[in-house]
Amino acid sequence: MTLEPSNATPKQTAFIVDDDHSVCESLCDLIDSAGMSTQHYPSAEAFLDAWTPDMAGCLVLDVRLPGMSGIKLQGILAEAGLSIPIIIMTAHGDVPMVRKAMKAGAVEFLTKPFQDDELLQAIEQAFSRDRDLRAAKTLENSILGRLGTLTPRERQVMKLVTTGMTNKEIADTLDLKLVTVKLYRGQVMEKMQAHSLADLVKMSERIKMP
Amino acid sequence: MGANPNRISKWLIVFVAKPLSIAVFFVFVALLWTFPLQHVIAYPFVFLFFGAIMCSAWFGGYTAGSMAVVLSSIVVTFFFVPPLYSMTIAREFRSYVAAFALCAMAIAMVSSSRRRSETAVKIARDQLEIRVQERTAELQRSNLEITGRERQLRLLTEAIPQQIWQADADGRVQYCNGNLVEYMGINPNELRDDVLFTFLHPEDTTPFFQSWEAARRVNGKFEVQARVRGGNDAYRWFLIRSNPQLAENGDVVCWYGVHIDVEDQRRAQQELIVAQDDLARLSRTLSMAEMAASIAHELNQPLTALVTDAHACRRWLNVQPANMERAIASSERIVRESTRASEVVSRIRSLFSKSAYVREATDINHLIEDLARLLRDEALRHDVSIRLRLSRDVPPLMVDPVQIQQVILNLATNGMEAMAKTTRMRELEISSVILRAREVVVTVRDSGAGLAQEARAKAFDPFFTTKPDGTGMGLAICRSIIEAHDGRIWFEALECGTAFHFSLGVNE
Repeated sequence: MTLEPSNATPKQTAFIVDDDHSVCESLCDLIDSAGMSTQHYPSAEAFLDAWTPDMAGCLVLDVRLPGMSGIKLQGILAEAGLSIPIIIMTAHGDVPMVRKAMKAGAVEFLTKPFQDDELLQAIEQAFSRDRDLRAAKTLENSILGRLGTLTPRERQVMKLVTTGMTNKEIADTLDLKLVTVKLYRGQVMEKMQAHSLADLVKMSERIKMP
Repeated sequence: MGANPNRISKWLIVFVAKPLSIAVFFVFVALLWTFPLQHVIAYPFVFLFFGAIMCSAWFGGYTAGSMAVVLSSIVVTFFFVPPLYSMTIAREFRSYVAAFALCAMAIAMVSSSRRRSETAVKIARDQLEIRVQERTAELQRSNLEITGRERQLRLLTEAIPQQIWQADADGRVQYCNGNLVEYMGINPNELRDDVLFTFLHPEDTTPFFQSWEAARRVNGKFEVQARVRGGNDAYRWFLIRSNPQLAENGDVVCWYGVHIDVEDQRRAQQELIVAQDDLARLSRTLSMAEMAASIAHELNQPLTALVTDAHACRRWLNVQPANMERAIASSERIVRESTRASEVVSRIRSLFSKSAYVREATDINHLIEDLARLLRDEALRHDVSIRLRLSRDVPPLMVDPVQIQQVILNLATNGMEAMAKTTRMRELEISSVILRAREVVVTVRDSGAGLAQEARAKAFDPFFTTKPDGTGMGLAICRSIIEAHDGRIWFEALECGTAFHFSLGVNE
């Protein structure tokens, strides 16, 4: 169970938003039978009210809801930069709506009624995506943290190194001695905990270093 | 006195010249005839003078008579009484002359008075004749007038495109106009007393006699609709109206009646009701077609729950060891959802079916909630959020739930369409509230463009529409449905948007 040793991953839950109480109950029961935890809300507004940043898992969202629609909720979440994976449920998937939902980042589009595997697989997929997203976020944070320890000069050298310049070229560009460049480069590799140049390049790509 | 010379000369002509000339003329004629005669008759012959006096008095009146008497006396004395040709009278002739004068005076008086009375009689007779003629002419004129008026009246009763009859106090028919006779297809000479009653439709005789009896009790008018058989043995609906003619003492002298053919009106009315019914169903079907997707959703919800429950149930049974408790709970939900699905199906069927007059205790809030679910797709399409504000104190109402749902559906669809172009928040609010524990008011409020001024007065008129593809029947049907429920429907122009309200009475 401790595949990801990183303690940052909280328990994942499937958050169901459907105004039909029976449907909610059934979905909870099914997901429960697969050993996953669930919570359900009767409307988009109710979900937004209950939302906190540490809610991990995925959203199982009905399109037709009283008040705010599912698609609208998806839009609001995306706008706020809350990247929780979303599974959309609908009675009839009309094409523009599917396109809109998928474009907005829905993991899966389920047409009611659906098979248990369809849902459970979709949830598992969503959970793993959530995990990935969270792991990526954690990694990004640590890289950014390490980047913060570099001096401006070291940062300059790192940027040029990751663009593929040789030490000589860097020395010319920055008008430094070759020895000094080599020194800076060693400090960057150490501070960024990079084992190789490839490692360093990956890191800079991940954080889209300016 | 003599101020006017004309009058004096007129007086002279009438009272002196004319009688004098008449007297002179006749006396002279008598004198001319007496001269030759005195040679035949020895005795002085004076009788012709009596004739002259009589004639003078007759033609010239009393004055001329008197003048003729004087003249005759002078002439007789001068020419025929000895001594001849002198005015002296011999002694032995004095009595003779006196007798002559007396006789002459008497004749003059008698003759003139006789003449006068004769003239008076003649004048009276003439006057009488004139009067008689005048009266005769008058009578003839009024006779003509009366017959003319009678003819006009007859023409009127015959020309009026209505059937008219007159019956005595007991309902025995005395007169039927041509239209009625022609309609019933009978010979005008065969009019039997009870002709009117035998031509009534058997089903309508009772109401007819009831209303007639009621009218007879108070000697008032009556009005009843009944079918009357025509000459072709087909019945048509007539509005039968009758007024009694009352005598001085208030008794009925006779009844005047008119039959107005209302067959076409009744048929049109019935056709209208049928058409309206069809239209209502059509519009319902049309909006339903638009919402087929909603129905699919409606049915899909319990099906989704059902399928999910079935899967869950299987999974609870498949784990080792089987979780019987959870499996049973899942299977119970399966039963519940199946029932719900079949309820949805029957509700949809009732929505489409042509149902007759229905009044059943209905929870209006439940109706609205139901409808709001159906409308969700439509709302999504219009980017409208539906808000319900339902008072929980609303009691069940005796209504036709399908029809009332139809009204709310129409109002809600209108509201959503009204918001199509607005840039404001698109919110449709459906609310229910109870007023004074007597009526429930349902309001459908939109935040749309509102009704144009000229549309306000005609909003509920049939065939009035502001939509390019509208039938103009939506609100008209709403109104007829609400009115059939003894309710009211009205609208209120808000600052932004419109609120349609309808009220339904709470039955005790």
